[in-house]
Amino acid sequence: MNRRKKEADQHKGWNISISGVFIAMVMGIVLISVVAATLIFVQIYRNAMEQSAVTSSSQSCEQVQNTVENYTQDMRIILERIVARMRHENNHSEEYIQNLVNIRSDVVAVTICGEDGELLRYWNRGQKLKENYRIVQSTEMEDDDGRLHITKPYVESLFEGYYPWVVTVYQKIQKEDGTSIQVNIDIRFSDIANYVDDVGIGQHGYAYIADKKGNLIYHPQQQLIYSGLKEEKGMDLKEGTHIQEQVIYTVKNLENCDWKIVGVCYVDEMITEKVSSAVSRLLIVLCLVMGAVFLLGWAFSELFSAPVRQLADDMHRFEKNAENFVFEPMAGTTEITTLSNSFEHMVAKIQKLMEQVRQEEITLRKTELKALQAQINPHFLYNTLDAIAWMCEDGKNEDAEEMVTALARLFRISISKGHELIPIEKEVEHAKSYLKIENYRYKNKFTYSFEVEESCLSYLCNKITLQPIIENAIYHGVKQMIDEGEIWIRIFEDGEDIIFQVEDNGIGMTEEQCQEILRKELGDRTGIGIKNVNDRIKIYFGSNYGLNITSELDEGTCVTIRMPKVREEEYEKK
Amino acid sequence: MRKSRRKPFIAIGAGVILLAILFFVLTGDGLWEGREGSTNSVIEKKKVVFLTKSMDSSFWQSAYAGAGAASAEYNLDLVCEGPDGDGEEDYEAQNEMIDRAIREQVDALLFSAIDFEKNAEAIDRAAKAGIRIVVVDSPVNSKAVECYIGTDNYEAGCMAGKEVLGNQAENLNIGIVNFDKSTENGQLREEGFRDTVLKDDRANITASINVKSTITDAREGTERMLLDNPQINVIVTFNEWTTLGVGDAVEALEAGERTQVVAFDSNVKSIGMLEKGNVDALIVQNPYAMGYLGIEQINTLLNGQKPEKKETATSSILVTRENMYDDKSQKALFSFEEK
Repeated sequence: MNRRKKEADQHKGWNISISGVFIAMVMGIVLISVVAATLIFVQIYRNAMEQSAVTSSSQSCEQVQNTVENYTQDMRIILERIVARMRHENNHSEEYIQNLVNIRSDVVAVTICGEDGELLRYWNRGQKLKENYRIVQSTEMEDDDGRLHITKPYVESLFEGYYPWVVTVYQKIQKEDGTSIQVNIDIRFSDIANYVDDVGIGQHGYAYIADKKGNLIYHPQQQLIYSGLKEEKGMDLKEGTHIQEQVIYTVKNLENCDWKIVGVCYVDEMITEKVSSAVSRLLIVLCLVMGAVFLLGWAFSELFSAPVRQLADDMHRFEKNAENFVFEPMAGTTEITTLSNSFEHMVAKIQKLMEQVRQEEITLRKTELKALQAQINPHFLYNTLDAIAWMCEDGKNEDAEEMVTALARLFRISISKGHELIPIEKEVEHAKSYLKIENYRYKNKFTYSFEVEESCLSYLCNKITLQPIIENAIYHGVKQMIDEGEIWIRIFEDGEDIIFQVEDNGIGMTEEQCQEILRKELGDRTGIGIKNVNDRIKIYFGSNYGLNITSELDEGTCVTIRMPKVREEEYEKK
Repeated sequence: MRKSRRKPFIAIGAGVILLAILFFVLTGDGLWEGREGSTNSVIEKKKVVFLTKSMDSSFWQSAYAGAGAASAEYNLDLVCEGPDGDGEEDYEAQNEMIDRAIREQVDALLFSAIDFEKNAEAIDRAAKAGIRIVVVDSPVNSKAVECYIGTDNYEAGCMAGKEVLGNQAENLNIGIVNFDKSTENGQLREEGFRDTVLKDDRANITASINVKSTITDAREGTERMLLDNPQINVIVTFNEWTTLGVGDAVEALEAGERTQVVAFDSNVKSIGMLEKGNVDALIVQNPYAMGYLGIEQINTLLNGQKPEKKETATSSILVTRENMYDDKSQKALFSFEEK
């Protein structure tokens, strides 16, 4: 039980407005969808870019491969020609080779070595051979598989003052006389270099040549690597595409020799940069979209939720003060106007019903009162008639006549054709008749006097207003007294009101008794009690008017009745 | 109608305008064109001058090549210059070049000082003119220098010293041929050398001369020194020009057999001398790296970043006749001609 209550309390405390929920939801959805879209998009884009990087890298490598293959093929042909001439010891061979060296700028020298590596003959471009040259050629001979044999790069040191980096293309020949010689062509990279240098893969990608053992043959930034400023990886990779963290290596093996082409391309620069620029733009877009969504969301929710809030406020006000509530219809979407119209109808209906209920209640009361008034206390009648009978018997005909007249007037005025309000004059007459009868009955037990301002007489007052109070004064005030009691009845103006005052010098009442009288439904003697008088006045004229009792024990009681001035004409209009 | 009902419509209007802007942003300026297009056209290449002690030595040619490679990579406008002629003596010409660079309002200067003191004032002037200054190879006495890249000269001197101590001779009578006292790197190398060699009792410095940093002066000085002190069996010298001078002198006096020569830097001639035996060991610095790293550092500075460290030491190795055709030595000794 407790927990449920708490939960309910919390529910009340949350205070989430529709617009807040709406904006948060829409923004959340937009945010999530944009972020998700961006991520998916980036992923797809990244893959596509990677794919295209791989493709372009492999295309570039293929081109390099073709070019280098052509080049090595060319070298092979040259080598084969030289070898052929060596075999046949043609006279023109010297000239041919010398021409070749002169024409081909990338051929540094053609040399022929003996079995032990000693230099037999050489052709070059006029550089002087050193006296104590060194033989550094690699002579490791592999199976002659028809492929070109190429050494790793080294510095040519045969000639004075000329130290180019070269590779040697070589072939061994078995001569007819059984000795074997080796034909070497020392090649600089100038030709391939130009080509390889110009290969670009992406913004900073490049291609380089390595051999099967992982030695660098030619790299566009060879000197940078030789100076130890740059390290190149991927020289040991097998043929194919290798995607490493930031770099894509594409390796192609040459068919006619042991070289391979390695294409290097930076994923990072090709993809990440573009992606990050795209993402940063998307972020701006996202911000704009969020701004727009916020504004639109706010606007829509405002269109919807503000009128609802207004309506809720109105309902609250209506709840507090249904009678005087005035409803202003709202503008807005159809939903809102429908709601507003319904509420308007409801308010009208409720107010109408309330008015009806009030009217009915008043009517009911009036009927009730009339019924009460109609009742005549039988004791009072018997006693009076008794008294009249005694008078007749005693031969007091005049007195009897007076009594009968008074009684008749009393009843006439009591009934007053069913009107509730009667002129004060009549009311005074009514009171006088009553007092006359009572005075006869209680043989000069008390005296009474009227002080009525003339100007008051024409105003209206509730009928049977004074009689119950006088009755009370007699029965509870002066009757029990030993001395002669006195009752004063005054009627005078007080500003816009008229005051009726009934004072006696009787035994008085306690505070409780005063309250009791105002509460008790019926007086025991007559049909109408003091409470009834008070009620009627209040119903007719509002709570400002009515009865007031001041009393002191053994001193007397004073009952004051306040009533507004009502003229006959006004009453009839009502 | 209540007044507050207007607000939502204003907000809707604003939202629609925002979306319209968005639409124009997206369609007007393609999302994918990226930044490359805009940056290239706006930013001008920064001008950098590489001012060296001389222009013709293969040491500086190699440094130029390195600087060239770096400036191509970092998209800088590089001008390489230095005093003409053989030798590295003309600090005044260097100062003039600095002043010219100030007039031309270059952005940065990569500098190698001939004179530790006498170049200082010009460098301060240049720094005042807003030129960023990085020094390679040989420092200058100026607070304006933002970083130094070059051989650890003292260490290189020690390396030469160790090689000399490898000599099996009973006594090591050492002749030192150094260049200008005012050039800082030569002094450091000599200091490193002396500190290393003098730990050995066999070693004594028989003669120490300072010559101008030209081949002729070095040759004449060395010849005189050798003639005056025939007992000298070890000669040390500390840069490319003096190496050539010393080599020539040794050849001229046919002293190659009896003297061990430890020298600095490589070029075609000194390699020939090494092969012939007139020079026995070369301390080969890495000028290409100096040029490259110098420009790289300048690029860092011009981009508003701080250099990682104030001093960057480039490698240097000792090459002898025996190991000169090793893979490692080859790479250091012979520059790879590009194209």
